Amino acid sequence: MTLDQVKTILGAEVISGSANLKMEVKMGCGSDLMSDVLAFIKSDSLLLTGLTNPQAVRTAEMVDVKAICFVRGKRPGQDTIRLAESKGLPLLMTELPMFEACGRLYRAGLPGCSELKWSP
Amino acid sequence: MTLDEIVRELSLSVKSCGADLSRDVLGAYASDLLSDVMAHAEKGFLWITLQIHQNIVAVAVLKELAGIVIVNNREPEAGTLSKAEQERVPIVVTELSTFEIAGRLYQLGLRGQVRC
Amino acid sequence: MEQSQGIGRVQELTYELKVEEVMTRNVVTVSPDNRVSDLRELFRVNRISGTPVVDAGRLVGIISIEDFIKCLANGEMDCRVRDRMTSKVEVLYAGEPVVHAINRFQVSGYGRFPVLDRESGRLIGILSKGDIIRALLKKLEIDYQEEEIHRYRASHIFEDTVADRTSLTLEYDIKGKDFDNAGKASSSLKRTLSRLGFHPQLVRRVAIASYEAEMNIVVFTDQGRISAIVQTDGIVLRAADRGPGIPDIELAMQPGYSTAPEWVRELGFGAGMGLCNIKKSADEMELRSEVGKGTDLRVTFHLKKGGP
Repeated sequence: MTLDQVKTILGAEVISGSANLKMEVKMGCGSDLMSDVLAFIKSDSLLLTGLTNPQAVRTAEMVDVKAICFVRGKRPGQDTIRLAESKGLPLLMTELPMFEACGRLYRAGLPGCSELKWSP
Repeated sequence: MTLDEIVRELSLSVKSCGADLSRDVLGAYASDLLSDVMAHAEKGFLWITLQIHQNIVAVAVLKELAGIVIVNNREPEAGTLSKAEQERVPIVVTELSTFEIAGRLYQLGLRGQVRC
Repeated sequence: MEQSQGIGRVQELTYELKVEEVMTRNVVTVSPDNRVSDLRELFRVNRISGTPVVDAGRLVGIISIEDFIKCLANGEMDCRVRDRMTSKVEVLYAGEPVVHAINRFQVSGYGRFPVLDRESGRLIGILSKGDIIRALLKKLEIDYQEEEIHRYRASHIFEDTVADRTSLTLEYDIKGKDFDNAGKASSSLKRTLSRLGFHPQLVRRVAIASYEAEMNIVVFTDQGRISAIVQTDGIVLRAADRGPGIPDIELAMQPGYSTAPEWVRELGFGAGMGLCNIKKSADEMELRSEVGKGTDLRVTFHLKKGGP
């Protein structure tokens, strides 16, 4: 799913990285706890979170998250935006609560990070 | 939709005994920040979180939530479960992540409240 | 750990690949007006065991070799396909990730799914389990070649060095309570390891451990140091501080156990997962601590032959 599609589905505003909306995200992960993100997220995911401090961007960087969408209408501060811009990490923001945002993206075909139970 | 139906439909494992699973679930709220749940979750909503300490029970009671879904197969602390039984708050656990369980519940027809 | 890493790549691929990249495009189809007897040649010549039934570009059903055999047994070879096909067809859409398709195969037990274009609703391909396995194998082969290149780059600095033992030490000073810069050291370490050409999986594991350790130093102590010692056979990550120390290490290692104050939780940390995360990413972990003196964490990552 492209960030452009994410933007449409969530009625989201692009806060930084508007040049990268053709970028693809492969999975979704919703969490407000960064240790959880570090433990479970896979590369190339979209991170949905209500956490707007710079640690969200740092965490995203550590585990190669493709983009962050802030939920619940939480707008990040300038320090977070600057850090994201320096890392080339697109930031989006939606007014939707976490549940709605995850539900809508999932319905539109974006899978989660632990869905596959691989049994060859 | 009742909690019982949701548990069956998504094969969730019920951790707190004695709690009433026949109550109606009116919607869902996903958050790992207790202060946020205190501020925004609505009565009768199902709360999705990965928090496991006993404060979650107190929040669920205060906000009259329909129950708590703990994600990523995290095991609730012993104190959390005993408190949940006392307060009759249903606690269920899923191996799915927040994103996925929200997705499945959404497909079952649950909605989150949209802030204006 | 080693095994789960290997499976991890296959899992990732199932997310990366879309149904349309994996499916067979040239679909043999029949019309609902065909007779069941026509299927015999169709199945034989194309070596297939089922085919979608299409009417004016629209998928209206599916008919399989089992249906054919049933008709044969009942002497109904003159029947129309429309009367013997399964008309409630489960489909996949072109843009869906392969992981969805795998789940559908497992749940339904079907051998194949017609693939539709979501917008036009037209049939554009068909997907079998064999298609998925072929595509995964092909991708893994390409990955393997890329990994060879990575390994070469990482070993390069060591190959040009003549010594009995060689190591490269990267050190970072961490300031306690400085949340604006928390994570900066791990960020620099990650970038450096990537540039040295280590495999992205390994870099990611080191970065996760380093970041959690860095957060612990920032939250609980006044200052500390993170170092990464890069050797020919692996990376040793150390995080040392002169903070308050950990009274009960066993308890601290328990998932969910945390002594972090509420404000740290609001920052997205302090849920009692940090040390578990470090352990999970590492091949070896050693934690020493003395109350009042400080904590010394040593985490080892092996460079394995033939993988990250």
